[in-house]
Amino acid sequence: MKAKHQRLILALAALVAITGAGLLAVSALRDEAAYFYAPGDVKTKGVEPGKAIRLGGMVVKGSLKRAPDGVTIRFDVTDGKATVPATFSGIAPDLFKEGSGVVAEGAFDGKGVFVATNLLAKHDERYMPRELEGMNYNETTHEMKTER
Amino acid sequence: MNQWAFVVAAYGVTAAGTAIMSFVSWRTMRRAETAAEALPGRA
Amino acid sequence: MHRFANPARFLKIARPLTGWLFWPGLLLLIAGAACGLWLTPADYLQGDTVRILYIHVPAAWLGMGGWTGIALAALMQLVWRHPLAGVAGRAIAAPGALFTAICLATGSIWGRPTWGTWWEWDGRMTSMLVLFFLYLGYIALANASARQGQAAGQGGVSTVTAIFGLVGAVNIPIINRSVVWWNSLHQGPSITLRGSSIDGSLLWPLGLTLLGFTLWFAAIVLMRMRAILAQNKVEARMQRLARG
Repeated sequence: MKAKHQRLILALAALVAITGAGLLAVSALRDEAAYFYAPGDVKTKGVEPGKAIRLGGMVVKGSLKRAPDGVTIRFDVTDGKATVPATFSGIAPDLFKEGSGVVAEGAFDGKGVFVATNLLAKHDERYMPRELEGMNYNETTHEMKTER
Repeated sequence: MNQWAFVVAAYGVTAAGTAIMSFVSWRTMRRAETAAEALPGRA
Repeated sequence: MHRFANPARFLKIARPLTGWLFWPGLLLLIAGAACGLWLTPADYLQGDTVRILYIHVPAAWLGMGGWTGIALAALMQLVWRHPLAGVAGRAIAAPGALFTAICLATGSIWGRPTWGTWWEWDGRMTSMLVLFFLYLGYIALANASARQGQAAGQGGVSTVTAIFGLVGAVNIPIINRSVVWWNSLHQGPSITLRGSSIDGSLLWPLGLTLLGFTLWFAAIVLMRMRAILAQNKVEARMQRLARG
């Protein structure tokens, strides 16, 4: 065997081993590296009240209501598996709206309501001009992900 | 804030980075090749 | 590839190629950016901020593509001992780091009006920041070995530096899959094998800027390779003179 081939095999073996180790570490970190909890995660794993977390999902259409004080809003967050009620007092980002994604920072109170201290808007991977908004989305070519 | 302010900032950062990288790379190449050509005798 | 092992032969091709890549690349990326700024419609949700897409995506592509190039060069250096591989790796590092930084900066500027934040430690942003630090590490290692005159036959890239370049490539698939593996604030991939979820009326300038930035990047790499080769030539002559 030529030295060149030995080096090639050595380099490839090392690359495979390192990639394997890296991916193993990443998959072990899967839960820790998750940026937010989805309502379904909250239901299955349970999050104790008062623990600071991020809650991410879609704002349920028709659930957004403004409290009489004018600054507090109430809305429901869903991921299709579970739905969690949330409140927030303050200025929401422009892209925060019903039927769109949200990541809320805060904690659950004792009654299972998520009290958000900060809201971030999360948009999906679709981009289109305004004229196309609301038109039927071609689900065969690029489906909408349901887990978000 | 105006959306265009963010767009202009992003394009400005990119244009500056691209221009500086172009200039510095070209100047380094030019200087190095001039110095190499100025070497006495055959390489 | 060993046909190009001789620097003279490489330079014979690289000299004219530099201009042929640089000017069309620059023209295409300026045209693409202009089209993206003025000709495409605004997004239904984000409005005009969507135009950052046309530079953010090429920057991400070049940042990640640059490290892929460094890893391939490292492989060619370690396995085939190709004399130009180290030169290529060193030439890629600075523009690759620049575009990783531009990707982070434009992403941050885009995040403020859309998400409501400049920076969040989600999977995509964190792994991209790691890539930037990897570039800085590679540049520091390569500069150190080049300055100490080590690995003169390998373009100044020591074996340790090349191994670092190869190992760092693990981060590339992690960046790519980060939005799929983890819940993240960054949206999922828009362009997949199944098609694009960016409407055609918004998508087309991206092709121009992607191609333009790629050609321009290749020209910059050639310029930097030519500079390193010329510097090496001068240094080799100086050493020969010093030895008498």
